[in-house]
Amino acid sequence: MIERTNEQWIADLTTSSAGQTQALQDLRERLQRGIFYYLSRERSDLAQLSTQELTQMAEDLAQDATLRVMENLDSFRGDSRFTTWATKIAVRVAISDLRRARYKDFRLDDVTAEDELLPAAANLNNHNPLPNPESAAERSDVMTKIDSALREALTDRQYQALEAVALRGVPLEVVAEQMGTNRNALYKLVHDARRKLRTSLEAQGLSMDYMMDLFQD
Amino acid sequence: MLQDQLDKLLQSILRAHEDGMDCESCNAEFECLAEQVAAGGDIHALLPAVEAHLTCCSDCREEFEALVLIIRAENGGLTSQLTD
Ligand SMILES: [Zn+2]
Repeated sequence: MIERTNEQWIADLTTSSAGQTQALQDLRERLQRGIFYYLSRERSDLAQLSTQELTQMAEDLAQDATLRVMENLDSFRGDSRFTTWATKIAVRVAISDLRRARYKDFRLDDVTAEDELLPAAANLNNHNPLPNPESAAERSDVMTKIDSALREALTDRQYQALEAVALRGVPLEVVAEQMGTNRNALYKLVHDARRKLRTSLEAQGLSMDYMMDLFQD
Repeated sequence: MLQDQLDKLLQSILRAHEDGMDCESCNAEFECLAEQVAAGGDIHALLPAVEAHLTCCSDCREEFEALVLIIRAENGGLTSQLTD
């Protein structure tokens, strides 16, 4: 593969000619190698796939990524190597795809404010019998306050989003899709929820340091 | 709520930084920053606002780490050995 400067990449990719076909192929192959490296070295969740399956997967993802790069060519600012910028887009394409596959059965509607909290607060103490009944009572009291802060300070939407993202570790973009919003807006929503919750807890005299201490064994 | 969920919740609230860089503005810094980090740069010294976002956004963190990993592998000639 020939080495190109940023200017050569852009020129080759935007001029209809045999040079464009070659540049597209070079770009796709480069992205495919990067994606394959990532899938095979870094993704233990894909360890059961054969080399052939991973190769096919990398090929499909690189194809999608190349199209995405071409659609966004105008937004390349030229402040990094072109291939780094293209790889950033490829990483996003690949990881988004993996996230969608992994969470294909996730339903945000299953996350509601109705379940979990209070009964599980008792659970917490059962699972962690404390030598000192005062700390048990203190914990239970704080749990109740956290529980009511979650219900009262947050809207249902904020609650759902925070629980899915922060507690269950569901990727933002999976949750965003089901909420009919985009990832960036959801990030802000979750961020606001965290801060609201923190303010609400602090207003009840519960500092973060105090709670971390109380629940850390 | 189980112990580990509670920990996650508290950690997540604790990590919510004030200045609030969002995913888009963070992503816009990725290509330059990843090249520098792949070359041994310290993200904390280079762009603390991005570091703060990555600390509380696991989506962006996963993507940034993958990008750095691939650039390092390319720089080290490791990706070209894999497929033909
Ligand atoms: Zn983010």
